[in-house]
Amino acid sequence: MRLGLVRSELTKILSTRLWWGLLIGVVLYTVIQSAASAAFAGLDPGAGQPTTPGLESPETLRGIYAAAAFSGAYIFALVIGVTGMTGEYRYETATPTFLATPRRVRVVVSKAIAHLVVGIGYGVVAVLSAFLAGGLVVLIRGNDLGLGSPGLWRAVALAVLAVGLWTLVGIGIGTLIRNQVAALLVAVAVTFLVEPLVSVGLYAADLEEVGKFLPSTASSAVTSPPAVFGELLPWWAGALVLGGYAVLFAAMGVWLSVRRDVT
Amino acid sequence: MSTTTPLPQKPGLPLEVRALTKRFGGVRAVDDLSFTVPPGRVTGFLGPNGAGKTTTLRCLLGLVRPTSGEVLVGGRAYRDLDQPLRQVGAALEAASFHPGRSARDHLKFLAQAADIPVARVDEVLATVGLAEFSGRRVGNFSLGMRQRLGLAQALVGDPSVLILDEPANGLDPAGIAWLRGLLRALAAEGRTVLVSSHVLSEVQQTVDDVVVIADGRLVTQGPLVELERSQASVLVRTPERDRLAGSLREVRPQSTVSEDGADALHVSGWSTAEIGRLAHDQRLELHELANEPGDLERLFLELTQGVSR
Ligand SMILES: Nc1ncnc2c1ncn2[C@@H]1O[C@H](COP(=O)(O)OP(=O)(O)OP(=O)(O)O)[C@@H](O)[C@H]1O
Ligand SMILES: [Mg+2]
Repeated sequence: MRLGLVRSELTKILSTRLWWGLLIGVVLYTVIQSAASAAFAGLDPGAGQPTTPGLESPETLRGIYAAAAFSGAYIFALVIGVTGMTGEYRYETATPTFLATPRRVRVVVSKAIAHLVVGIGYGVVAVLSAFLAGGLVVLIRGNDLGLGSPGLWRAVALAVLAVGLWTLVGIGIGTLIRNQVAALLVAVAVTFLVEPLVSVGLYAADLEEVGKFLPSTASSAVTSPPAVFGELLPWWAGALVLGGYAVLFAAMGVWLSVRRDVT
Repeated sequence: MSTTTPLPQKPGLPLEVRALTKRFGGVRAVDDLSFTVPPGRVTGFLGPNGAGKTTTLRCLLGLVRPTSGEVLVGGRAYRDLDQPLRQVGAALEAASFHPGRSARDHLKFLAQAADIPVARVDEVLATVGLAEFSGRRVGNFSLGMRQRLGLAQALVGDPSVLILDEPANGLDPAGIAWLRGLLRALAAEGRTVLVSSHVLSEVQQTVDDVVVIADGRLVTQGPLVELERSQASVLVRTPERDRLAGSLREVRPQSTVSEDGADALHVSGWSTAEIGRLAHDQRLELHELANEPGDLERLFLELTQGVSR
């Protein structure tokens, strides 16, 4: 893959204002989630619910620093992937793009790499936000930051990668549904509404074995956070499943883009 | 051509459209169309709205897959060109820009994708008169400014072939005159220039050759002067108009003779000398006898009317 093409795709992303608007979203959403999970860890939720593990527990710390970062950022990664692809059709920049590079496979692969880079950037910013906000709450509650806690750095690294991979899911959805607004609605609705509902439904029907493999659920397993309900996949299996989804969606993007007429 | 100073030559590439057919669902946008565009000349690609011009150009540029037939740039398919933007520069519709991106950034991503030095971007923006707006977001551009940016996009690779779809839309008279000069100069350097339009008069002063299509099919193709010559007619004024018209029609039934006002005739298929001789032989009084330039716009309408949707 030519470096110039990846650079071209990066220029596209960074030359409109969307990327930093989403970045602000990443910071805010992560800060809220990380601070909240640090604030409530180990407290008695009342109403007879079991108490969650305290701030010394490795899984709690992974939740505060890694899982909160992932769940605070991945939706924005998804959105930048969807708009990166649908924008080409909405504003017809697909025309000059394919004029410059008629081998469309190269365009989509470069676009995927550029978005992966930006998504990883979002992941890094999310992790930093989580360390700042979550760490602050942990300190305020009189605990140790717990940066040497087992499995923490693996979880943080995988959270960053997972955020990056969600841009590829977005690119795939964006090629499948070219209407930008529709694609964004579908992408966000599916991850925020449909997947949790399906997941609950599967859980209720004793099919949680299947539910584990849904995209968001499998992705959140990479940080091995405290289980909210049901079992998650082991971290490595979650990473593999997410990698599979990313490759699948990116491949669909390539396959559809190559065939289509650009009118 | 009578230029005295030798021009820097930029060898163009011929464009070939061979038996091109493109169907969109049930619509035959282009129907068994064949023509060639030679280098070193400006070719006008004409046809009424919906004739299939844009579709043909998109096929040439590898954006639309032909249903059947071939489209070649210098003997190769567009997607097989080594450096497409350096070989072919194209501007299609005026709207292919992200409104939130600056003109410079638009050209920058193209230059990066095509391995063109980014310094070329400011150069070409200056060429089209957009230097002072280069940092401004395209969403704020007027139609004419967008056209200029489209042109900058076509020129950024200093290409051998230039393909422009309705480039004069939205340009002011000064802009049109400038564009005309630019296209003439590029063709004079040996490049291939293909310009589409649905108005003949718009390109009449610019083009050497025309390719006219209607309803996806070729109507006529050739040098503009020949088309003009075929359309040239003779104006005759005579008080005995009906007698002269009758004789002209009788001697040459295939010639066209049309009455105008009380005493004038427009005659094609006869030279002024031939009409003068006939009038002299028949002792007809003539008040005026003159060559008239062909009304190409009318011809264009006639050519494309019968078949247009
Ligand atoms: N993507 C498409 N899907 C369906 N039909 C199409 C598509 N693109 C073009 N057409 C049809 O193909 C025909 C030719 O259209 P085209 O845009 O090539 O004409 P044109 O000569 O460029 O017209 P104009 O002068 O208005 O720009 C029209 O009937 C148009 O409706
Ligand atoms: Mg058109």
